[in-house]
Amino acid sequence: MSGASSDSRPQGREPVPHGERAKAVGHIVFNLALLGIAAVMFVHAGGLPSSAWEPIGSGSFPRLMLAILALLNVIVIVKEVAKLRHTAALPSGSVGAWLWQHRLAFGVLGLFTLYAIAMPLVGFRWATLPFVLACQVLLGARRPRQLAIAAVIALLMSLGLDALFRHVFSISLPRGSLL
Amino acid sequence: MMESILAGADQLFTLPTMLTMLVGVVAGVITAAIPGFTITMAIVLALPLTFTMPALQGVATLLAVYIGGYTGGMISAALLGIPGTPSALATTFDAYPMARRGEPGRALAIGIWASFFGTLLSSIVLIIAAPPLAMIAVKLGAWEYFSLVVFALTIVASLVGRSMLRGLLAGAIGLILATVGADPLMGVTRFSFDLRMLSAGIPFLIVLIGIFAVSQLLREVEDAEEVKAGKQLIDSRISFKPWAAMREVLSYPFNLFRSSMVGVFIGAVPGAGGSIANLLAYDQAKRGSKHPEAFGKGSSEGVIASESGNSATSGGGLIPMIALGIPGSAVDAVLMASLMVHGIGVGPRLIMDHADTVYGMFMAMFLASAMMLVVCLLSMRMFLKVTSVPKSVIVPVVLTCCMVGAFALNNRVTDIYLLLGIGVFGYVLAKLDYPLAPLVLGVILGPIAETNLRRALMTNEDWTLFFTRPISLALLTLAALSIVLALRYRFKQRRQNLALD
Repeated sequence: MSGASSDSRPQGREPVPHGERAKAVGHIVFNLALLGIAAVMFVHAGGLPSSAWEPIGSGSFPRLMLAILALLNVIVIVKEVAKLRHTAALPSGSVGAWLWQHRLAFGVLGLFTLYAIAMPLVGFRWATLPFVLACQVLLGARRPRQLAIAAVIALLMSLGLDALFRHVFSISLPRGSLL
Repeated sequence: MMESILAGADQLFTLPTMLTMLVGVVAGVITAAIPGFTITMAIVLALPLTFTMPALQGVATLLAVYIGGYTGGMISAALLGIPGTPSALATTFDAYPMARRGEPGRALAIGIWASFFGTLLSSIVLIIAAPPLAMIAVKLGAWEYFSLVVFALTIVASLVGRSMLRGLLAGAIGLILATVGADPLMGVTRFSFDLRMLSAGIPFLIVLIGIFAVSQLLREVEDAEEVKAGKQLIDSRISFKPWAAMREVLSYPFNLFRSSMVGVFIGAVPGAGGSIANLLAYDQAKRGSKHPEAFGKGSSEGVIASESGNSATSGGGLIPMIALGIPGSAVDAVLMASLMVHGIGVGPRLIMDHADTVYGMFMAMFLASAMMLVVCLLSMRMFLKVTSVPKSVIVPVVLTCCMVGAFALNNRVTDIYLLLGIGVFGYVLAKLDYPLAPLVLGVILGPIAETNLRRALMTNEDWTLFFTRPISLALLTLAALSIVLALRYRFKQRRQNLALD
């Protein structure tokens, strides 16, 4: 379980730490976004066809769920806005510091995004090889020995896995539309 | 009967059959241990290899893959915090915290023994109670299914972590994600917004990999200093004490028995399966425990419940198949196919017409679980070495496996983009402290809930039938009781916290 680590209960009149303020802002933005998506989906669900054979059509169940989601979103927003009033503004540079602290996670995410985009274009082998290699370099493989191990792992995960799926399991991993 | 048992044993206990079963167990364990690769995938890949084998050898080999797979799923759940298969979801709740606090060997050993005993108990139930249980399972109509799902949804109360509101919100998101794609009854495409990626829906496995694997791996590399110093996933010396773990598992006999029976029943209900059984067994164990506060922090009771619950579905799933010829899950359908390939018709007459094969299958269950135990106990030290691999290697390797698993599921490139999107979404949820398990539960249960609600109302518009049909009423009463108990527990906890403050 993703251990929910912090409680969202209001903290009374006690000053709330900056981290809590950042989280409250995060919750508000996230729930506003979800509320917007739920509203769009709710309207869309209203246009789904109904059936003569059943009392509730295609759109009814999703609409019920979307209404529940929207209600929960509103409750979270109200709770977090109340919490926001008891917190001081974030010190300048804290967003930059947070981004810098998470640089590796964002770096890996960036590489993973490029990997997902590249795979249909250049195929599994030639997308995986640089992804696995670059990821290891990003995460600390810098010395010659580490780089050699990283290259072997990249070759195994790209050419090796591709050969295994193709010849043993008869599953063709993406070939690449550009190749 | 004795003649059939001996004939079955004669076919089963031959060197080629035992050898292919051993290979099957190893293949099942390894495949399921890789995040993104499922037991169904392993069984489907193994099916063509059994065509040339005699009927019992073929089905026994597939059963070995099946049983190995149910145990293999917990390896990455315990060591990486990523469920290797959907059925190992609840195993991450306690096995991973246990591993993180320096006891990965204990987490794996408890899981192996719990899996073994769960399979054993389910095999015994399969032999004794297959016909009556199958009759109950198939008597469940749409009303009972819907009520069963409502009961299963109350598990969310156990999975929400500290904030009930955020847990419910995550569950609602899961239920909505499950509505994207083709409507289960009319086939109308919903919420695709003309995107090809969404028109086929969001496969459950993609949600599981994206939400758990991608977000977990990103969280692993948040501390730049730690990663660059070559820090391993788990800081510990390898300590694997299987006998102590066996004694620990057997010291919770009621938990083991209850979780296994939950697994058997859920396995016997067509369409449910291991992905629900592990969560339901975990939930029941938490509610029944003297130390519910230890759950989620590395409780051995939680690992026992999840692993015995999911492994017991292997025997439970065979009940409707053998007694009535109805496959309870995709895996059971493949097992049925392997029998049909050899000209054995699967149906209510199976046990009468092919008693030797059926008794051979029963014995194969016991043999495969014994093989699983030996294979896992002998190989666990090797698997534990994963904990000493630096994060810089683990992260790209597991991400690549996730990508392959996502693609190989349906051979669709668009599933790769979905995986990326859901992974990012999961990371945001995790950073904002939303529990992820209720979301996955919503995705599993959403389609079953909607289909059966609509089917029930299509059959009869009378809503009161949900409350007047005895089994449905019993399940709804259990659901209400479950919510009341969860709320009582939360209020009690809150009062204790206030008293401490």
